[in-house]
Amino acid sequence: MVSYRSFRLRIAVLGLLLVSILSPAWAGGGGDGKKFDVSGTLFHHVLETHNWHIVDIPKGGSEYIHVEIPLPWILYNSKEGFQFFCLDGAHAEQDALGKGYVLSHEKLYPVKKGVQVLENGYPRPEFQEHLTVTAEGKWIPKKGDHHIVADHSGNLYEVDHSVSLWDFSLSKTPLQMLIVGLIMLFLFLKMAAYYKRNPGQAPKGIASFLEPIIQFVESDIAKPNMHGKHARYMPYLLTLFFFIWFANILGLTPLNSNIAGNIAITVALATLTLLITLFSGTRDYYQHIFWFPGVPLPVKFILLPVELVGVFTKPFSLTIRLFANIAAGHFMVMALISLIFIVGKAGESVAGAVAITPLSLLFSLFIMTMEVLVAAIQAYVFTLLTCVFIGQAMETHHHDHDHDHGHDHKHAHA
Amino acid sequence: MEIILPNFGLFFWTLVVFLTLFFLLKKFAWKPILKAIKDRETSIEEKLNAAQAAEAKMQQLTADNEKLLQEARAEREVILREANNAKDRIVAEAREQAKREADKLVAGAQQQIALAQSAAAEELRKLSANLALEIAEKVLRQEFADKARQQQYVDSLLKDVTLN
Repeated sequence: MVSYRSFRLRIAVLGLLLVSILSPAWAGGGGDGKKFDVSGTLFHHVLETHNWHIVDIPKGGSEYIHVEIPLPWILYNSKEGFQFFCLDGAHAEQDALGKGYVLSHEKLYPVKKGVQVLENGYPRPEFQEHLTVTAEGKWIPKKGDHHIVADHSGNLYEVDHSVSLWDFSLSKTPLQMLIVGLIMLFLFLKMAAYYKRNPGQAPKGIASFLEPIIQFVESDIAKPNMHGKHARYMPYLLTLFFFIWFANILGLTPLNSNIAGNIAITVALATLTLLITLFSGTRDYYQHIFWFPGVPLPVKFILLPVELVGVFTKPFSLTIRLFANIAAGHFMVMALISLIFIVGKAGESVAGAVAITPLSLLFSLFIMTMEVLVAAIQAYVFTLLTCVFIGQAMETHHHDHDHDHGHDHKHAHA
Repeated sequence: MEIILPNFGLFFWTLVVFLTLFFLLKKFAWKPILKAIKDRETSIEEKLNAAQAAEAKMQQLTADNEKLLQEARAEREVILREANNAKDRIVAEAREQAKREADKLVAGAQQQIALAQSAAAEELRKLSANLALEIAEKVLRQEFADKARQQQYVDSLLKDVTLN
């Protein structure tokens, strides 16, 4: 009975992994049927979107029904104030244009109405420096130039730089974060309720699964690095650990994309860690940054910028590590799945696709399994390094005072 | 390039979601959970300490009992010894007294025996004297009843006298 059950569980996990692997393939498969754009698919998967893409259903030929949930745009327009709307499906571009925006690569740009960029197929003189022509004789905006923006059909618009636009859209990643938050609230409030109902008793159910992890965070991550002052930081550390872990796991499930693979998220988390570090800093910590004790005067001036840079490199490393690890995992799986479409020439060579599929799935399964591990490891590393950084800032360096009495100590030891 | 440029909206939402989550969980989850775990730890520790203390107390009690038992045993010994001594003394005393009493009795009895002896001897003397007198009387009467023999005896006596 037990072995049968565990076998069933294994099959279920395997199935879930396979579906997870294939779901981005479906998501990416909806190309134009001619040429498979690997990097476009990869970035489309990893970058932010304002449509929660569920599945593409073939409609015959190269037509697909896109099943997706439009997510709200929330904008602060310096001229119009707050704006809130959804852009749905095929009308998205027209709808956006009606509101004075051009939709390009999941971003809205405010444009000047009624400005013709091209005149008789040739750019007007004032826009010439911002445009370049392709081999097919098509005018496109220069890379990195934000004066002109092109929509999906290649129409050109002049960006209205007098409007500053803040995008607070509740796009896919914030929504996924909300889901992570709800899952966490559900689990931990349930757990807290269990303890309230059964004081002093051994944990059961979800509490018995989560309690060892909470204790692991407390006694193995926080305690050894925070000089006995970890209790104050436990709520932050626990929230951080479980948020990253659950977000990473959620990112591996079907229909979800990566969360912590967005650099904005890791920047935000690292910023919080930096702020806590700075607020926890002792006099010693700041002294070591601004006026390093116990070294000759010129060295103090050399150390000042070094130490100051050090303050920011720590959260920077946190940012990059988490972002790069998660994004890279998703890239790898996506790339391996893309192999099917590359070798299969996006549906033209069925034999090629069939031949490469087992290999592609095997590798993806391997990477996916590793990603489950990475999900936990990165949560652990982020939390651990947060503890280490805060712990370093809280440290008091006793040796500082020894500089004055150094000779006495030497005599005492001799 | 876009992938390494933080998106402000996402940054904003991360802070909003994370901080909301942090404050909610801190108040309604982490504090009660950590407190419950700590309370349980403390109570387990207290119970362990109590068990240890109880064990020590038990050992102390056992030792005390042992001591009491030893003392009781020693006391019993002493009591027994004293009782033995008392018994010996009483027996000896009783024997002494009995002996004295017996001696007294024996002495009294001997005295009485002696008295009775002397009385009996007196009686016997008187009796034998009377008997002798009676016998003598009877003999004499017998002797004097036969005149002829008397005469003969006297004649013999007289014959002796003349020959002298």
